[in-house]
Amino acid sequence: MIKYLYTLLVGALVLNSSAFADASAPNDNLEKELAYLAAERQVVVTASKMEEHVDKTVATTTVITQDDIQHIGARNLLDVLRLVPGIGITQSQLGIREIEVRGVKTSLSEKVQIMLNGHPLDHNLQNAGSAWVYDDLPVDTIKRVEVVRGPGSALYGANAFLAVINIITQNAKDLNGLHTSAGWGSFDIQQYRASWGKQFNNSAEAALHFNFTDTNGINSPIPADSLSVQGLNSAAPGKSQLTEGRYDLEWQLGYQDFKLDGRYINKKTGAFFGATSILSDDRTQQDYNDYFLRLSRTWKIQDNLTVDTQLFHDFFSYDNLWQVAPAQFSRFGLQDTRTGGEIQTNYHLNDAQTVIAGFSYAKEQQGNLIDQAGPDPVNLTQVLSSTEVRTRQRWGVYIEDVWDPLKSLRMTLGARYDRYSDFGGTFNPRMGFNWEFIRNYSLKFSYGTAYRAPSFGELGSINNPVLLGNPALKPEQVKTFETGIIAHPVKGLTAQATYYHSAINQLISQVPGQATFLRYDNNGSVVAEGVELETRYDFDGKLQGSYISANHVLQHSVQFNQQLADVPRQRTNLTALWAFDNTWSSFAHVLIKGNTLRNLGDTRPDVPGYALFDLGLLGKNMFGKQVDISFNVYNLLDKRYYDPAPASLNFIGDYQMAGRSFFGHVSLKF
Amino acid sequence: MKCFNNRRASYTDCNPTMKIMDFCKVLVLLGVFWVSAGFAQPSKVLIVNSDNAVFRYGTIASEFKKVLQQNAYQWTEFNLNSHADAEAELKQLIQQENPVLIYCIGTKAYSLARNVASNKKLLFSAAINWRRLDIGEGTYGVANELSSAQEISLLRYFFPTIKNIGLLYNDKFSREYVETIKKDASALGINIINQPINDAQEIGDALNELLPKIDMFWIISDPVVLSSKASVQQIFQAAQQRKKPVYAYSDVFIEQGAVLAISADLATIGRQSASLALMVDKDKVPEGTVQNPAGSTVTLNKCALDALRLNFNQDALDSVNKIVECNK
Repeated sequence: MIKYLYTLLVGALVLNSSAFADASAPNDNLEKELAYLAAERQVVVTASKMEEHVDKTVATTTVITQDDIQHIGARNLLDVLRLVPGIGITQSQLGIREIEVRGVKTSLSEKVQIMLNGHPLDHNLQNAGSAWVYDDLPVDTIKRVEVVRGPGSALYGANAFLAVINIITQNAKDLNGLHTSAGWGSFDIQQYRASWGKQFNNSAEAALHFNFTDTNGINSPIPADSLSVQGLNSAAPGKSQLTEGRYDLEWQLGYQDFKLDGRYINKKTGAFFGATSILSDDRTQQDYNDYFLRLSRTWKIQDNLTVDTQLFHDFFSYDNLWQVAPAQFSRFGLQDTRTGGEIQTNYHLNDAQTVIAGFSYAKEQQGNLIDQAGPDPVNLTQVLSSTEVRTRQRWGVYIEDVWDPLKSLRMTLGARYDRYSDFGGTFNPRMGFNWEFIRNYSLKFSYGTAYRAPSFGELGSINNPVLLGNPALKPEQVKTFETGIIAHPVKGLTAQATYYHSAINQLISQVPGQATFLRYDNNGSVVAEGVELETRYDFDGKLQGSYISANHVLQHSVQFNQQLADVPRQRTNLTALWAFDNTWSSFAHVLIKGNTLRNLGDTRPDVPGYALFDLGLLGKNMFGKQVDISFNVYNLLDKRYYDPAPASLNFIGDYQMAGRSFFGHVSLKF
Repeated sequence: MKCFNNRRASYTDCNPTMKIMDFCKVLVLLGVFWVSAGFAQPSKVLIVNSDNAVFRYGTIASEFKKVLQQNAYQWTEFNLNSHADAEAELKQLIQQENPVLIYCIGTKAYSLARNVASNKKLLFSAAINWRRLDIGEGTYGVANELSSAQEISLLRYFFPTIKNIGLLYNDKFSREYVETIKKDASALGINIINQPINDAQEIGDALNELLPKIDMFWIISDPVVLSSKASVQQIFQAAQQRKKPVYAYSDVFIEQGAVLAISADLATIGRQSASLALMVDKDKVPEGTVQNPAGSTVTLNKCALDALRLNFNQDALDSVNKIVECNK
C-alpha cells in the first residue's frame, strides 16, 4: 500500500517529465547550472548589489530618461532641466543660460557640476561653470539625465556644490546600428544628428555621435541701453543677437576592459545683450572649443574587488570678440587644460555592504592669452592682459561606505579631502540614511558639505580698472541637510516631499576695492531652505503608458537678511502624458513661476510671475519600428514673460523671453 | 533668416526659398503622422529574460514561446543582457507594447519589471526562492524549486532511516525556502539542521560543524553556497570523507557523487508558465498564484549508494527515472 502511494506521489512529481540528464556532458551541465546560479546571484533583492533605485538613494535624485526627453520634445539640455523640481532656467546678459538650483542662482552657474558619462565638464578654469558650452547641449544622443540635488563634493570633489547633473549618452549596445535625426523649428532652429554603434565579436565596441545645431536666437526686443537713454547713438532699440551654432563629436571606443571616450565641441554664439551696458550688434562673436579625452580600464581583482583606473585630458578655449561700445571692441582668449588620473577601488564586503575608495590627481593650466582692443574688430591692437598664466595641482582622496544593515535600511557614510596648490585643503563629509519604515513608505535624511574652488579669474584677474582678483581666496563652502519622505500609497502613485537647508559660507563676491572699484573676496553667506513636493500617477489598463505628475517648490534664500534677488519663491510644474495607443502619445506641460524679487536698492517692481503651457505629440516606432516623429509647441498661449535683467541694466526693464514657438523632430533607425 | 557660416564664423542671410522648404517639411511631418497610424502592431505578452545566454533561462523561454505560438498569441522578447540601460528601455518598451502580461524569466527580470511596471500583470519563473521576492497584486509564478514537502516525502520513502538532514544556505537568498523546508520536514518527523553562510569561504568551517550532526546533506539551489566548481567539489569531498550521502535538487550533481537528485524539468516549467499565462489572460487564475514545477526527474546514483553501503528502500526503485551504475 505504501509503495503504491509513493508511486502515485512520484507519478505526480514526474508528470510531463521529458528531460533526462545528459551523462555524456556532466561538467558542461554543471557549468550551465553554475552559470544560472551566478546570474541569480547578481540580484540581491533585499540589499544593495542592484543598481540603486531612486527610492533607495540617500540623495534627492531625479532621473529623466530618453523616453521622457522625446515626449518633452526637448531642443536642448535646458528644456529637460526646467522640468526638474528645484531647478530654474533664466537668460543671462552674455548669452549663456543660468541654472538656478534650490533658490540660488549665479550668472555663470558655477555652483552646479555637469558631467558627461561621469566625467566633470567644468573645463573653464577662468570663469568656472560648465554652462558656457553645455547649456544648449543637444539631447538626441542622451540616454539618461540624472540630477542629484544637494552637495556632492564628498564623492565628486570640486564644484559639486548645489547639484550634480550627470548626462549619460547612448553607447554601442544602445545604438547597434545607425541612428539619424533632424529637427526644425522656430527661430530657424536646425538640428541634425548621426550616431553609429556596433559591438564586435572580439569584445571590441565603438559608438560615434555627431551633432550639428544652429539657431538665430529668439530676437528678444531690447528697448534701450545706457547710450540710448542719454540720447546718444546706439544699436538700441534693437534685438538680442543670440545666434548660436555648434558641432559636437563624441566617441566611445572599447576593447576588452579598456575604454577610450571623449567629446569635442565647437560652439559659436553671439550675445543676448552684450558684455557691457551697451547693446551689442551681430559683430559680437564668442567662439568656444572644448574637448575631453579619457582612457579608462576596470580591473577585476576578485569577484568582490574591482579597481577602476582612468587618465584624462580636458581642454577648453575661447576666442571672443565683444562689442563694448558702438565703435569699440575687445578680444579675449585663452586656453585651459586639465590633465590627470584617478584610481578607485570598489570592494563588496558582503551582500549588504560596499566600500569605495579612491585617489585623484590633476594639473590645471591656463595660457595662450589673447587681449586686444580697438575700434576696428579686424585690426585690434595688443593691450595689457586681464588675467594671468596660471598653473595649479590638486589631489584628493575619498572613501564611501554604502551599508544595508537591515532589509529596509540603507546607510551611506563618506568623506573626501582635496588639496590645491594655490589655496590649500578642504574636507567634505557626507552621511545619510534611507529607511523604509512602513512598506512603501521611506524616510530619507542626509547631511553633507561641499566646496567650490576659486576660479583662475577670481584669483588672478589683473590690469582691470574695475575688478581685481584676489590670490588669497578660499573656496566657497556649503553645509546642507535634507530630509524627506517617499510614499507609494496606492498602485501607480508615487509621492515625495523633501525639506532642505543649505548654509553657504565664504561666498566669493565682488566687494568694494582700494586700488580698483571692485575686487573679489570671501564675503557674506547665504542661507537657502525650501520644500520640494513631487507626485506622479501612472495609469493602468487602456491608459497604460499615460501619467500625470506635478512638482511644487517653495524656496526661501536669504543674504544679508534679505530674500535673494532674481529667484522666485515658488515654482510649479504640471505634466501629463496621454498614450493614445502603442504609437501615439501627447504630452502637456504647464510651468508656473512666482514673482521674482529685486535686489536691495533696485527700485523696479518685481518681475511678474507667469504660467507657460507647452503641448507635444509624439509618434514612436512607426514603419517597422524605425521612425519616431514629434511635434511640440512651446508657450502655446503666447504668454509674454520676462527673465530678470541685472540692476545695471535697469533701463531696459527685463529680458523678454520667447513667445509661441514650434519644434518638429524626426528620427530614423537603421 | 540667417544661417551659421562656420568658416567665416559669421551669420549671413539665406535664400528665402528655405522658408518654403521648412513649410514643406512640416507638411511632410503631418502627412507621416496620418499614414503611420496603421502600422502599429500590438503584442500580447512581453517576455523579459534575465540573460538568454543562460541555459536554464533560454530553455524555459523557448518552451514558453512554443505554447504561445500554438495558441496564436503574440509576444515580444526583451533580453536584459543585450541592453545597457535596461530599466529605461524596458519601461519604454512596456509603454509601446502595452502587453497584457509580462513574463519574467529569472530574478533580475522580475525585479526590474516589478520596478518599472508594478501595475501590469507579472508572471515569473526560474527565480530562486520566489518567497523572497516583492510579490504584489497581479503577480503569478512558477516556482524554481519543487515542493519541499514532496521532496522530503520522497527522501523518506527512499531512505526510511534518515532522521537528520543538513544543509548550507545564505540568508539573503534562501531564508524563506529553508524555513519552508524545516516546517515540511518537521511535519514528516525529519530534523533539518541548517547552517547559514555569508560567502563561499565559510563552506569548509560550516561543513566541519554540520556534517558530524547529520545523516544526509541536502544541496539546495543557493547561489552563494554553489558559487563555483570549487565550492561544489569542496562539499562533495567533505561529505565523502565523512561518508555522508548527498541529496541534490538537480541531477547535474549526480556525477559529482550525489546519491539522489530530484530535478525540476526545465521544459515543463516553460510550458507550465505558458499555460498559466493563458489562464491569467482569461482571468481564470486567482491573483498571487504560484505553482510548483509540474514535471521532475528522479535520478538515483546506485554507484554512490553502494560505495557508502547505504540502505535504501528497494521498492522506491519503481519511482526512479534514471539509475546511474558504476560502470556507466
